[in-house]
Amino acid sequence: MIFNIQRFSTHDGDGIRTLIFYKGCPLRCQWCSNPESQSFGHSILYDRKSCKNFGDCALAAPEAISRSGKNGLEIKRDLITKPEKLRDVCASRALTLSGESKSVDELLTEIEKDLPFYRKDGGVTLSGGEPLAQGKELVLLLQRLHERRISTNMETSLHVKWEMVERSVGLVKTFLVDLKHTDPVKFRHYIKGDAGLVMENLEKLAYFGANVVVRIPVIPGFNHTEEEIQQMVDFVSIIKEIKEIHFLPYHTFGVEKYRMLGMEYMFDNTVQVEEEELLPYIQYAQSQGFTTKTGG
Amino acid sequence: MIAAEQAKEITDRIAHLREKVLSTKPTVCTERARFYTEVYRDNEEQPVIIKRALALQKTLEKMTIFIDTGELIVGNQSSSHRAAPIFPEYAVDWLPEEMDELDKRPGDAFYITDEHKEELKEIANWWKGKVLWDRGRALMTQELRDLQDSAIIKATGNLTSGDAHIAVDFQKILHVGLSGYFKEIELFHKRVDHSDREGVRKDKFYSALAIGLESFQTFIRRYGDMAIYLSKESNDPQRINELQVIAENCDVIAEKPPRNFYQALQLVYFVQLILQIESNGHSVSLGRLDQYLYPFYQKDLADGKLTGEFATELLENTWIKLLSVNKIRPWSHTEFSAGGPLYQNVTIGGQTTDGKDAVNELSFLILDSVGKMRLTQPNLSVRFHKGISEEFMMASIKVIEKGFGMPSFNNDEVVIPELINLGVEREDAYNYSAIGCIEIAVPGRWGYRCTGMSFLNLMRVFLATLYDGFDSQSGKTFHKGIGNFTDFSSYDELFEAWQNQIRYYTRKTVEIDTAVDTALEEHVPDILCSAFVESCISRGKTIKEGGSKYDFISGLQVGIANLGNALAAIKKLVYEEEKIGREELLDALERNFEGKEGEKIRQLLLNFAPKYGNDDDYVDLLLKDAYMEFINELENYHTTRYNRGPIGCKYYAGTSSISANVPSGAVVPATPDGRKAFTPVAEGSSPSSGTDLLGPTAVFKSVSKLPTGKIMGGVLLNQKLSPSAIAKDGDKHKLISVLRTFFAELKGWHVQYNIVSRETLLAAKKEPEKYRDLVVRIAGYSAFFTTLSPDTQDDIIARTEHTLNF
Repeated sequence: MIFNIQRFSTHDGDGIRTLIFYKGCPLRCQWCSNPESQSFGHSILYDRKSCKNFGDCALAAPEAISRSGKNGLEIKRDLITKPEKLRDVCASRALTLSGESKSVDELLTEIEKDLPFYRKDGGVTLSGGEPLAQGKELVLLLQRLHERRISTNMETSLHVKWEMVERSVGLVKTFLVDLKHTDPVKFRHYIKGDAGLVMENLEKLAYFGANVVVRIPVIPGFNHTEEEIQQMVDFVSIIKEIKEIHFLPYHTFGVEKYRMLGMEYMFDNTVQVEEEELLPYIQYAQSQGFTTKTGG
Repeated sequence: MIAAEQAKEITDRIAHLREKVLSTKPTVCTERARFYTEVYRDNEEQPVIIKRALALQKTLEKMTIFIDTGELIVGNQSSSHRAAPIFPEYAVDWLPEEMDELDKRPGDAFYITDEHKEELKEIANWWKGKVLWDRGRALMTQELRDLQDSAIIKATGNLTSGDAHIAVDFQKILHVGLSGYFKEIELFHKRVDHSDREGVRKDKFYSALAIGLESFQTFIRRYGDMAIYLSKESNDPQRINELQVIAENCDVIAEKPPRNFYQALQLVYFVQLILQIESNGHSVSLGRLDQYLYPFYQKDLADGKLTGEFATELLENTWIKLLSVNKIRPWSHTEFSAGGPLYQNVTIGGQTTDGKDAVNELSFLILDSVGKMRLTQPNLSVRFHKGISEEFMMASIKVIEKGFGMPSFNNDEVVIPELINLGVEREDAYNYSAIGCIEIAVPGRWGYRCTGMSFLNLMRVFLATLYDGFDSQSGKTFHKGIGNFTDFSSYDELFEAWQNQIRYYTRKTVEIDTAVDTALEEHVPDILCSAFVESCISRGKTIKEGGSKYDFISGLQVGIANLGNALAAIKKLVYEEEKIGREELLDALERNFEGKEGEKIRQLLLNFAPKYGNDDDYVDLLLKDAYMEFINELENYHTTRYNRGPIGCKYYAGTSSISANVPSGAVVPATPDGRKAFTPVAEGSSPSSGTDLLGPTAVFKSVSKLPTGKIMGGVLLNQKLSPSAIAKDGDKHKLISVLRTFFAELKGWHVQYNIVSRETLLAAKKEPEKYRDLVVRIAGYSAFFTTLSPDTQDDIIARTEHTLNF
């Protein structure tokens, strides 16, 4: 399932790229800026700012939506068994359904719309959610893109079984791998995942000859200390094949989406990471022989 | 105020001159009006061309001139900086009517003294019934006057001012000097056959040219004399030296071809000035400045007589001087040209006539100096071509980044082949330049108004289509249709009704243009402008009589995106999905979408029908088909110069309508694209604001589906760009890469970037619906600005202010 196709993406690999956002992720990063990407099923987003109170959604799903809410609608998401019926019922698009099944052909049609803009460097970046957690459709798409010689990047946390990773090696030009932490305790606590699995997959992926760029999200209260960042850089240094590290500063642009999804934002939404704060990390990574970039 | 960082880049002299012109309040100068009125009054027996020559002569000999402290480039259009001269012979009635309101205008205010008000009232009184406006209107049928009054077709600017929209032959002027023109005129004047009717007319034409050129020389010499006078008054040795150089420059170029870069630039400025004293038409353009000045620059540099720094200072001084030129328009026309621009275009880059990259050192100096000045003049255009260097594109993007909308790009890859298709000689086609903002012509070879003829309000025509030809705003049925919307059982029937209406209105735009052009030709012929355009002298004709080598013109069609979106919404929601009934739609439109049901229909129209600008063939091709009806009809007509000399004499389409989308929208009720009554329509060929949701590549694709080769009057595309999107060099290269695709492969016409300012973001926070296209893009994440939380929005707003560093 796809939740967004974004053309003219300039920060997710070289050149001009079309980003395919897959829905569904095994991890639950508390700071996640695309919270609608976490569930593998449909998500219902409700923006009360643009709600005109037409009431069509309540008519379509009376069991779960009522107009009695203090701030617009009251939505009991767990009572909605067939979310599809809510697609396109809201004229003002205050209530939208995130997540759409797209066939490989449909995706290719969208991707090829920007073919003339890809030129030498650009192409497609599969993102998410976790693209590697997708079924065999993903591999079919990768094969078709490969046949068409459209350069494909993949953004992944590598938090999947190695078999899931292996099937895309050779079809993906560059893996942009999120390395969030090397400390298993913190990883489990904040992300609900297994740091070891990520690190192991990362090593294997590099040894398999895939082109890998490591991306470290710099998150205050989680890993924004020299010590923690150095640990991650040091880990990557062991893997000789990886030459490039990007630092992505924490941002809070996703906060509003939590509200729209009826979810709570557990993280601190008041802090910002300025580019200057990344300087020591960049210097350290460079001292270890890495090419660096900020903001992807 | 100029940022501190910038002040370092420019000399104190330039900073001072810049500040002086910028801080000068626009005023009105009555001198020209007085001289023209006196000459017209005292020479009633003379043919109009002689009257105009004598009036120009009197003005250039008697008008107040000055040389400002520190100026290196001299010449003024009126008695002080930014004082707009009055051109009573075009239209002056409006002035007494509006003079007490001039300083209260919401934009483009002018200040005028009581004494001048009295004088202008007297002048206006003398001109009653004699001005171009009255004469043009008198030539029209009642139907055409009604159409003009209805605002479906607007040609106000064409009857209240001169034509212009032209670049003259600077190359030749610099090569032969003013004396060269005298020789040529004499040669042809001698051959005139006085026994022939045409000969009588030609004789007066040549006499007028001679008077005009002589007075031009006098004008230049007056500055030379003034410089000598001032040098004697001065105690500052550096300034004395500068004034002596100015005097010498004037002495040389009043007669002979310029000998160096400085003199050449001074002469170019004088020509530019004189054309804007002779006529008040705007978009008087300088053409390919980096090409015709380059030989002078190169030679001076080689001879050690010029440095890059001094050349830059001279260019910067020239840009300030261009800004000191001013024009006052009636309010009704001001709205269409908000910001009071004169559109004096400078074009750089492109190719040489043998297809090589024409960018040279001077192109860079011009680009950088315009970037440093950050003024509204000149309008700077870069000619893109496949072989343009990454270095020059990068330099262009760095100027764009400064956020004052320049340079804009034109595209050799579409203009040159299409010009050749139209019958333009290869060498001329390679030498085209931008005129005004985005339209194009071959400098010194082309007639007036490659665009800028009448404005056609497409959405008014579309609404008339729904009501059997009835126009609700004027209460008139100008052209009975083939039925009402409620009668049309299919989209095809609706389209047929559109064909029927648009073909009628297309013809009417040409009829209005024909009346306007006839009046302009008979009552306000330009003398010097004709002298500087091929082949007026050899043919013995003014430009308007058919003197130019080429003649192609275009009107402006306003509401392009709205037309496509309206058609798509009706086709999909009314005919295909039957979500909205025909009567229901009309009812909602008539009520301006009021009430809950009306609002729901509007939301459906906005959100559930494809919108132009999203690379969706459904709407893009409907728009193309509908526009082609206009274009195909236009092919049937000729200009008033047909069979009188020029190649072409045809019309093409044009969308370079500047700010016309605002006043044009102000006379259009609610439309089926979900647009509310009397709000702006879309600008040029850009998507309707807030409807392009897929980013710039999708917009480029949509725009490139328009029949660009038939819209040689310009396909205007404005795009918003957030400062952070091009902050890093890598991002700039990505933007260049997108532009290369748009121009080289998709054959786009033009693009201009508006850097998203703090004000834009504040407006977007307040009125999200109009700014839904603002995207925040960072790695792995994207969101529309309008969907962010207020806190996040505030944060971005604060950062934007920081980044732009104003």
